[in-house]
Amino acid sequence: MKKWTIILCLLLAPALVCAGDKTLFVYNWTEYMPDEVLTAFQEKTGIKVIYSTYDSNESMYAKVKLTRGKGYDVVFPSTYFVHKMRKEGLLSPIDHAGLSNFRHLDPILLDKPYDPKNTYSIPYVWGSTALAYNSDQVDPKNMTSWKDLWRPEFKNRLVMNDDVREVLGIGLIINGFSVNDTDPDHIRMAYESIQALMPNIRVFSGDSPKQPLLNLEAWAGMVWNGEAYMAAREFDAIKYVYPEEGAIFWVDSMVIPKGAENKKEALAFIDFILEPENALLVCEYIGYAPANRTAIEMMPEELKNNPTIFPDPTDVTKGEFQTDVGEAILVYERYWERLKTGL
Amino acid sequence: MKRWMGISWVSLVFAFLYGPLLVLMVFSFNQARYTTAWQGFSFTWYTSLFENQHLLDAFVNSLIVAFVSSLAATAMGTLGAFAVSWYRFAGRKIFFGLVYSVMMSPDIVMGISLLMLFVLAGIHPGFLTLLTAHITFCLPFVIVLVHARISGFDPSVVDAARDLGAKEYDVFFKIILPMILPAVLAGWLLSFTLSLDDVIISFFVTGPGFEILPLKIYSMVKLGVTPEVNALCTILFLLTLAAVMTAHFLIKEKKK
Amino acid sequence: MNERQGFKFFAVFINMAWFALFVLVPGLMVVGISFLTRDMGSFFAWPPTLVHYKELVDPVYAKVLGNSLVYSLNTTLLCLGIGYPFAWFLSRAPAYRRPLLLMMVIIPFWTSSLIRTYALVILLKANGIINAVLMGSGIVSEPVSMLYTDVAVYVGLVYSLLPFMILPLYAVLEKMDLRLVEAARDLGANGLQVFVHVVLPLSLPGIMAGCIMVFLPAMGLFYIPDLLGGAKTMLVGNFIKNQFLTTSNWPFGSAASVFLLLLMVLMLGIYFLLSNRFNRNQTL
Repeated sequence: MKKWTIILCLLLAPALVCAGDKTLFVYNWTEYMPDEVLTAFQEKTGIKVIYSTYDSNESMYAKVKLTRGKGYDVVFPSTYFVHKMRKEGLLSPIDHAGLSNFRHLDPILLDKPYDPKNTYSIPYVWGSTALAYNSDQVDPKNMTSWKDLWRPEFKNRLVMNDDVREVLGIGLIINGFSVNDTDPDHIRMAYESIQALMPNIRVFSGDSPKQPLLNLEAWAGMVWNGEAYMAAREFDAIKYVYPEEGAIFWVDSMVIPKGAENKKEALAFIDFILEPENALLVCEYIGYAPANRTAIEMMPEELKNNPTIFPDPTDVTKGEFQTDVGEAILVYERYWERLKTGL
Repeated sequence: MKRWMGISWVSLVFAFLYGPLLVLMVFSFNQARYTTAWQGFSFTWYTSLFENQHLLDAFVNSLIVAFVSSLAATAMGTLGAFAVSWYRFAGRKIFFGLVYSVMMSPDIVMGISLLMLFVLAGIHPGFLTLLTAHITFCLPFVIVLVHARISGFDPSVVDAARDLGAKEYDVFFKIILPMILPAVLAGWLLSFTLSLDDVIISFFVTGPGFEILPLKIYSMVKLGVTPEVNALCTILFLLTLAAVMTAHFLIKEKKK
Repeated sequence: MNERQGFKFFAVFINMAWFALFVLVPGLMVVGISFLTRDMGSFFAWPPTLVHYKELVDPVYAKVLGNSLVYSLNTTLLCLGIGYPFAWFLSRAPAYRRPLLLMMVIIPFWTSSLIRTYALVILLKANGIINAVLMGSGIVSEPVSMLYTDVAVYVGLVYSLLPFMILPLYAVLEKMDLRLVEAARDLGANGLQVFVHVVLPLSLPGIMAGCIMVFLPAMGLFYIPDLLGGAKTMLVGNFIKNQFLTTSNWPFGSAASVFLLLLMVLMLGIYFLLSNRFNRNQTL
C-alpha cells in the first residue's frame, strides 16, 4: 500500500511542478551557482527555479540538440559551444534592452569572435588555461613558456587537461598558429609537437587537473586558473603562470535555447545574475572571475589583485579565446586518437 | 587447515572491498575541501550536507528509481530466465543476443538511442523514461544470473509435478522459485547496485525536473567533488550495514 | 489456450516485448544511422553510405579494440581467480550466515563509483596511504609509482567488477550437492581430481555467467581506467564516446559500436560452439 502511495506521488510530482504558474529551468554544472542566489531570485520574482546538471559541454550539447532545447531555459555553455550552438540555430537571440545590468559587464569579454556583439550569449564567469607548477620541485625560471613543458627533466611528470582542443592547442601555439586553426597541415604539425611531449605526460586529467599536482604525481602542467587557485589555497607551493606566448581563455556564458518555454523568465534571470552583488556571490562561491566589472571593483583588494584569477590585461590580449573549428574537429580527433594509441 | 584457508581468503577479499570504503569514511571527516591530504578532524561536511537540499533530493530520487527499477527488473528477468530455460520458442537465440548486447553496448550509445526513441515517440524525458532505461539495463544481469542457476536442474522434478496436475503457475512459484531464490536475490542486489550508480544513460534519458545522485556527483567535477558526498556515502553505508546486521541477528535469534 | 501455455506466453511475451521495444528498436536505429552520412547540423543525414565501415579498417580502431580486449580479458581472469575461491567458501558458510555475507559483498558498491575511485587514488598516490606504510616500515626509500600505471587500472577494474563475478558463482555453487564430492572421494579421487571432474563441471554455468557479466561491461568501461591509468591509452568506450560527443560524428560512432557488437557476438558464438562440442565429447 505504502509503495503505491510513493509511486503515485512520483507520477504526479512532475505534474505538480508544472502546475505552478512561473518556473524556470536552469541547466548548469553542479553547484556552479550558489544556492543563495537562486533563492534570492525566487524570493524577488516569485519564479521557481529548477536546477539540473550536466558534466561536460559535449553531453549538454548533444542533449539540448536532441530535445531541441525544450525543457531548458538558461544554459551555461563554454566559449566555442556558444559558437557552435549559435551557428546551428540552437539559440535564441537575447534582447539587450531587457537587461538593465548589461552595462556592468567587463568590456574585455564582450564582442568576441565566438559571438559578435553578444547577440546570443551573456558572459557569466571566465578563466584561462595556462601553466601551473609545484615550486618545491620546479624552478620558476624554468616555467615561463609553453615550450618549457618539453624540458627533459619533466619526463613523466606533467598533467594535461584531457581535452583535444586544449592539448593540440598548445601544439598549435608553439608552432606559431592560432588555437582555432583549421588547416590540416598546421594541425599535423601540432600533433607532431605533442607526440614529442608524450613521454613527459604522466596523466591526462578528465576530472580535476589539480589533483595530480596535489598528490605529488605531477610537478607541472596545463591547468585551469580556478583549479590552480583552489589548489594554492590548500597547498601554497602550487603556482600559476601565464606563458609568454599567451594563454587559452574561455568564457562560460548564459544562453537561452531556441526551444525554451520560459524566455521572459530566462531574461529576468540573466539580468538578476548580472547584478554586481550577485556576481560577487558567484565569484566567492566558485572561485572563478565574474564577467562583471562593477563586481570586481567591489572586491577586497587582496582578491582583486590575485593574478591567478584576474590576469593582467596585457596577458589577456596576448591570449586567445576558443572558437568552434567546424569540420576541422574531425582532423583534431584523428590526431588525438593517434596520440592516445601511439600510432 | 582448509577452514583456516577459507577464512583467511574471505577476510582478504573483504579487506580489499572495504579498504577504500574505510578511506572514504575517514576522509568524510577531513576538514580540507580540495586536497586529499589530512587537514584536521571536522564535522563540517555533515552539517553542510544536511543544508544541501538539492543533494538530498537527488539522493532520495536515486533510491526510489533504484528500488522500483531493480524490483521490476528482477521480477521480469526471473520470469524471462525461467522461460528461456524451460520453454522452446522461436527467437530464443535472438533473445540471448539482445541480452548480451545490452550488457556490452557502450553507455553513450544506449543513452542516446533511448533518448532518440523517446523523442520520436513524443515522450518527454522524466521519471518514467529514466525508470524504463534502468529496467532495461538491469534486466540482462538478472536473466543471465538466474539462467545460470536454473540450468542443470533436473527437469524430472517439474515433469513429476506436472504429471501430478500442478498448474504452471504453481510449478513456477512453488517449485522453481524456492530453488532459484539465492540467484533471484543476487540478481536484485546487482540491479539495485547498477541502477544506483548509473551516470551516462541516466543523463540522456532523464528530464529537467528529476535529478539523481550520480548525475549530480559527476557534474561536480568542474569545481571538484565536495566532501559532502563522502559524508552522504558514509551515512548510507553505515545505515545499510546496521540494517543488514540487525536483520541477521534477528533471524539468528528466531532460529534458536 | 490452456493454462500452461498462458503462463508460457506471459513469461515469454513480457520479456520479448520489452527487449523488442527498448533494445531492438533503438539498436536498429543505431544500425540505421551507421549507414547514413555524417552531418554537422543534424548529426546524420541522407544519403546512405558504407564509408563509415570502410573508415573502421584502420590500425587506430584495431589498437583501440586490442587495448580494451586485453584489459577486459585480464580483468575477467583476475576476477575469476579471486572470486571463485571466495564464492566457494561463501557458499560453504552456515546457511543462516550466507545472506549476511552476500549483502556484505554488495554494500560497498552502494556508494558512488566516482568517490570509490577517489578513495583508491588516496591509497595509491605517491603521497598516499600505501606508500606511507611502505616507507614508514623502511621497505622502500622512494615512493613506489602505482597511480597512473596498469597496476592501478587493474585494481580499479577488479574492484568495481568483482561482485559481478562473485554473485553468479555463488548462486550456482550454493546449490551444489556435496554428496557428489563425498562420493568422488569415496571412490578414491584426490582433491584435484574431485575439483576437475566434479566441482568444476557443475559450476560451469556460474563461471560462464560470471565471465560474461564481467567481460562484456568491462569492454565498454572507460571512466575508471581513465581516472586511475591517466587516460593515456584510448579504449573502445572513449573512442565511441568521442565520435558521438566531441566530433558529433554519429554515423561513425554507430558503425564502431555495431562492429564491436558483431565482434562480441561472434566471439560468444564461437565460445558456445566450442564448449558445446567439448561437453558432448566428455559425455561420450
